[in-house]
Amino acid sequence: MIRFENVSYNYPDGTPALRNINMGIKKGEYIGIIGKNGSGKSTLSLHLNGLLRPQKGKVMVRGMDTGDFSKLQGIRKIVGIVFQNPETQFVGRTVEEDLAFGPENLCLPPMEIRRRVDRALAETGLEKYRYHSPKTLSGGQGQCVALAGVLAMEPECLVFDEVTSMLDPDSGKAVLERVKRLHEKGKTIVYITHNLEELHAADRIIVMDRGRIVLEGKPENVLSDPSLRDLGLTPPSLIELAEHLKNHGVAVPWEKTSSPSNFAEEICRLFLKM
Amino acid sequence: MQEPVFSYVPGVSFLHTLDPRTKLAAVMLLGILVFRTESFFGIGALFAFFFALASFTGLPVGVFFRAVRPMLLFIIFIFLAQLFFTEGRVPASFWILQPSIEGLQNGLRLSVRFILLLLFAALMTASTDPSAITCGIERILRPLPLHWLGVNSFELATMMNLSIAFLPLLFERVERTKAAQASRGMYFGRNPFHSVPALVIPLIRGIVRDAEELALAMESRGYQGTRRTSMHELLMQKRDWVSLFALVSFAALILRF
Repeated sequence: MIRFENVSYNYPDGTPALRNINMGIKKGEYIGIIGKNGSGKSTLSLHLNGLLRPQKGKVMVRGMDTGDFSKLQGIRKIVGIVFQNPETQFVGRTVEEDLAFGPENLCLPPMEIRRRVDRALAETGLEKYRYHSPKTLSGGQGQCVALAGVLAMEPECLVFDEVTSMLDPDSGKAVLERVKRLHEKGKTIVYITHNLEELHAADRIIVMDRGRIVLEGKPENVLSDPSLRDLGLTPPSLIELAEHLKNHGVAVPWEKTSSPSNFAEEICRLFLKM
Repeated sequence: MQEPVFSYVPGVSFLHTLDPRTKLAAVMLLGILVFRTESFFGIGALFAFFFALASFTGLPVGVFFRAVRPMLLFIIFIFLAQLFFTEGRVPASFWILQPSIEGLQNGLRLSVRFILLLLFAALMTASTDPSAITCGIERILRPLPLHWLGVNSFELATMMNLSIAFLPLLFERVERTKAAQASRGMYFGRNPFHSVPALVIPLIRGIVRDAEELALAMESRGYQGTRRTSMHELLMQKRDWVSLFALVSFAALILRF
């Protein structure tokens, strides 16, 4: 669905942000992109719907080149991005108006805009905040409005760029849960983060460092990869625990490390066997 | 928290249901009328008209008079200037001040006109959702050849909407910057020449960064600064035309006297 072909991009000061990136994203896939600050993951996300255009190589979204200005509107209908800071994503004075912004840009008729706004409100459970100012909402609710604003465009692919980094842990979990449900409904998900704990549900993880893809694969292989630490990333705590247990001769299978309750069950099972 | 001035009060009154374009046109017409009316009778009639419209909205009149308060000093100044600097019959002089009868009349007339103007504007803003106002302005501007100025009506409308939406955020940022500087030992009372740059520079930097993020988010949601539709359907209905006709007749009547 989305394809990067030899994509390179330099910041205005000349520092390379992306170096020769090649990758593809399939329809319905849940991709996690991870890397420490400055690894190029946000620059990469801005390439996904043509907010940045590659200086070398090209990005194709459903066969449309993001370098082609006439295709941009079509590309943005397909790929929507939810950004880190909810505050600077709000355009409208009320939640309802904010959600209408995207569909209005697509030049949809008023009836259709209403339908989409209502639907996005229902999907995110924000109906009761319809006439509130998005600025009066909490961080978690704010991020919900930002997501609803993108959902109102009805994109096939949703990109989340460090959406939990300004939220408290509980709201962060709620957002993650929502992302998972969207994926189950068939949306393609690109989830960008520097917190490996958030990537258990991903189908595939891409690790970035200094503008390059350095590691790519299924979560069970990537999250337990010993080179993560050298890249400045901390593996999820349960995986670390599993590694320590393994060193002591207790092997907990990978599937059990995705949640504390699974992990505990497995430990108990092993304990009873002994 | 300061009481909001010129803010929208949601409702379902007759005035609320009028098309924003009708109300914009009405405010413009009334504005002209206010400054064309010389007689105190005409001004009295306009006041009566205001109270009649205000009663239609079902809102307490205080809501509208709040709009006058920030301008009160200015209005008093105008009144006093007229009172003392108009040539005419001087019934009594105080020290170097010589109030004249004509000055009193001029001053009253001028200050009352300003008050009326503010009241009519407040009537519109209280009964019209700001986004509907910008939508109305956009529709009024659309036929004008604005591209000569390098803008289009859609851009202007979005700009207006954003300014309304971002004003609170701006104030919040000022407070935050103030707090950040104060916690690093900045004392705002002592020397304004020293403290203003310390406040303004980080403030502008922050605003520019916010603006960049906002621009990205807007572009990502398909904003191109070109033609776009609106969720608000604007339809001039019978009652809009009837209201406008009634208003024009009223204006003609007032100007006759």
